[in-house]
Amino acid sequence: MFKYLFAKNEDIPAGSAAVFFGFSSIVWFVVGTAMGSFNAAKLAFPDFVTGSEILSFGHMRQVHVLAVILGWISMAFAMAMMYITPALGNTKLWSEKLGVWNCFLWNVGLSLGLFLLWLGVTSGREYSDLPWPIDIVVIIGLLVPLGINVWMTIKTRRVQGIYTTNWFFAAATFMVIIVFTVGNAPEFFQLTGLTEAYLTWWFAHNVLGLWITPVAAAIAYYVVPKVTGNPLYSHRIGHLHFWSVVVFYSTPAAHHLMSAPLPEWLKSFASVEGVLILVPAIAFVSNLLLTMTGKWRMFVENIEIKFTITGVMMAIPLNMQGGFQQTRAINWYVHGTGWMVAHAHLALLGFSTFLEAAAVYYGLQTLLRRKLYSLGLANFHFWMLLIGFTTYWVSMTIAGLIQGAGKIYAVPYIDVVIAEHPYMIARWVGGTMVFLGNCVWLYNMWMTARAGTVIPAGRLPHELAYER
Amino acid sequence: MAFREYKVGARMFGLAFGSSMFITLYMPAVDIASVSATTSAMERQLAFGRVGGFSYADPFLRGHGKPVTVDIVQDPKTGAAIEPTRAYVYTPEIPFPNGVRHPRILGELPSELSVSKGRMTDADEVQGAVFVVRETTREGISVPYIENVTATRGWTPEATLARADDKNRAFIGKGKIMFVREGCWWCHTLLPEQTQDWQYFGAPPMLGDFNGESPTAFGSDRKGPDLTHVGSRNSSREWMMLHFFNPRLVQPHSIMPRYDYMWGDVDADGRPIDYDAWRAAYDEYEAGNTIYPPEVPVPAVDSEARALIDFVINLK
Amino acid sequence: MAWKFDNPLGTLTTDDQNVSAKKLWNEETLGGITEDNKRLPQPVVALMVLTIITAFMITFPLWGKRPTAAIYAPYIEMMSSAEVQGKSDDEAMTYIVSQVKASGFEWQSELERHPLEMDDLRLIRDQLIKLKQQGVDLREYNVLGNQLVMANFEGNRRADGSVERFQPWWDKGYTIAGFFIIFFTIGVVIAIKRLPENEWQPTHGGH
Repeated sequence: MFKYLFAKNEDIPAGSAAVFFGFSSIVWFVVGTAMGSFNAAKLAFPDFVTGSEILSFGHMRQVHVLAVILGWISMAFAMAMMYITPALGNTKLWSEKLGVWNCFLWNVGLSLGLFLLWLGVTSGREYSDLPWPIDIVVIIGLLVPLGINVWMTIKTRRVQGIYTTNWFFAAATFMVIIVFTVGNAPEFFQLTGLTEAYLTWWFAHNVLGLWITPVAAAIAYYVVPKVTGNPLYSHRIGHLHFWSVVVFYSTPAAHHLMSAPLPEWLKSFASVEGVLILVPAIAFVSNLLLTMTGKWRMFVENIEIKFTITGVMMAIPLNMQGGFQQTRAINWYVHGTGWMVAHAHLALLGFSTFLEAAAVYYGLQTLLRRKLYSLGLANFHFWMLLIGFTTYWVSMTIAGLIQGAGKIYAVPYIDVVIAEHPYMIARWVGGTMVFLGNCVWLYNMWMTARAGTVIPAGRLPHELAYER
Repeated sequence: MAFREYKVGARMFGLAFGSSMFITLYMPAVDIASVSATTSAMERQLAFGRVGGFSYADPFLRGHGKPVTVDIVQDPKTGAAIEPTRAYVYTPEIPFPNGVRHPRILGELPSELSVSKGRMTDADEVQGAVFVVRETTREGISVPYIENVTATRGWTPEATLARADDKNRAFIGKGKIMFVREGCWWCHTLLPEQTQDWQYFGAPPMLGDFNGESPTAFGSDRKGPDLTHVGSRNSSREWMMLHFFNPRLVQPHSIMPRYDYMWGDVDADGRPIDYDAWRAAYDEYEAGNTIYPPEVPVPAVDSEARALIDFVINLK
Repeated sequence: MAWKFDNPLGTLTTDDQNVSAKKLWNEETLGGITEDNKRLPQPVVALMVLTIITAFMITFPLWGKRPTAAIYAPYIEMMSSAEVQGKSDDEAMTYIVSQVKASGFEWQSELERHPLEMDDLRLIRDQLIKLKQQGVDLREYNVLGNQLVMANFEGNRRADGSVERFQPWWDKGYTIAGFFIIFFTIGVVIAIKRLPENEWQPTHGGH
């Protein structure tokens, strides 16, 4: 990678940036889930690794969250953008060199930010924990170069049309820059009080709604038609999906603070809009499941489709929860409990991770021109992820309902802690399965790069039979 | 927009995104900015100092550049007896909180009173200042304001500190930094629900309780009790001390981590703390081999544990 | 923006625009991916309508509304009545609740959603009586924990220019949401109707 940083743009092989991003994202996923598993062990067994500031839960929890969001998810997104955007425009990436630099800065900037965060250098704001100098690095070194590369690739495309996936890529990279800048304004300008609290959650909501959800969906819009060979079911539903994300997903930020003293009209508005996130969800799920018509056997036989469709189907419980748990009628019961932790993992580890994993599996095979090393290991990875995640989700949902019941019956909190204990152990088991699955994945992709069968020119990876 | 007609599409995108930003950013900002600070908001920010997270004054969150909160019963200048007063001492170069720097954050009436009656804007960071929170009545309604007692009564920071012994000093600002740095708020919220939650955790915060405070650290993921009013439920420093050193000394089922490392190297009497010996003795106790757990050392005045206890005890 | 309005259920574009759109649609291969021109399936439209209706129904003020001081006013009144004196707290509370229920109280359903105990009533009693003596509208005060607090709603303006602090039927948040949905629906319908009519399906250049 380093030799390309100072090479001429023409001398860098097409797809280098995407490959670097792909492998970086898997490594960050392994790191992020390792930390998740470690943290969960601390919740289940409080005296596990104790008495050390640097290995305490309060120092590591946010590192896990941001390693997964900015390392795994966002780098997988960057990887997907850097090979899907040019492919859909019948062109090359606008600047491979900018892409390589972007990947380099991303790894360096994120490592630095997480290292500081681990030491305790934090802004004290959930999801925007990074101190403001690092926020500037994230905006200028990570997000803006990615955006420029995506927008310029689309601008220099060699077809007249822009496919749905690229609508989302172009819009989401733009929106995430705005969200990151405005969301961190309390740190840049020392805004205080309710403004700070509201902007913290405005950021947290929009980074999910305008970055993670639409980009993950955009990946599915590419992978399913590409691998099955079916045309996308409907251009029209694509419109419905895109515009409802922009309009409805950008507005319900206040529903994260239903119990804070914000203006009541804002809460009413946010909770109506919050239910309306079901509109993009309906459009997205129906469009992709209908695209699968006639190719459902690939759900069993093909690893990318298996991951993608599982992710698409997880959008159903995700949005049913997300739409209704934020209303005044329900929110007070589940707010601040394990239910929310389960929901957040359904969004990030369920829905979006499965879609990104498909993009990374497919992209690395395409770019390296090598067939996946082992289907068996990939299936193992899939089931470890799915069973591990499900264990986690079910146990935390139950723990959350116990906490909610504890709230209304004013149970002494320690009794809630005791009642939750078995579920804390289950959460640790689930998280550890995900971590182990990812280690296998890293090995599988490494072996694909080293020993996968070379894909002949003019063929696509999914047209070749699996060998192992 | 017709098929593949992106100029119109881009404009529609700008319109849609812009209008949602207008509704979710501009409109609430106007409403929130019109809120007046409550007494609680003034007490909080004066105790916490400027920023509770990363800042120039304290880049590694060690609790530098924070004010000291003192409770005094004598006038620092004259030595005469006064009503018990809580004063916030900003020795020279300690950054002032945002409400003092930008009075408009406090809201219309409180800022006007703080400037005219409390001479808040006469305070100078280079010289240091002492503040107290007062209340006065305007048109039948009680309005809080900040008084710069260095200007109004000549209480210098040194003299004020000298009137308070160790028992009456609280390092709340440093403690808030510890609360943020150690991630206490990952498990303990500072925001009881407005419905059904208050019987156990006390009243939820009011509008205007946060003006000037940053970060608010509400927390979102409760794994332990809410701490908004913990100082009212339990004000025992000894209990807090044992609980921070090893929560399972006082609550066998607690899943809270041990924060013994915040004691530093020496205890309040300057004796070095032998953590290995303590843990070995505790393991013996836990295994049932000894009847009593080992003594928990009293934290030194400048230790992080002391500041954290001060902060938690003062969450009323 | 040449719109054809004589056949809005088919398409809003002119014939020549449709011809060029169809040609482009058929010939273009977006990195080997093609799109069909299927209509929005009726179940999807139905689900969308259902979602919009549900969004308003479930966030309607009735559900999850914070208790206002007004709903407890009859409880507080009965606390000092002769019948209650000498009863234990639980008996007295049962008696008060049944009496208020029997009287056909306007906000009975909210009382059932936010039950109180005698101790809770004692906490808010003096504050409520004081507010009542001041002659304020008790609906403007929420019961937050042990305190009665002015609610943060913006309602109708009174004659003297002050704002009512209880949720009006036209709550500002709902009104904005309503406009938002209308603009969204119009926008999406126009975007979709500007495509060639859905009876036409692309052949994707024979793929």
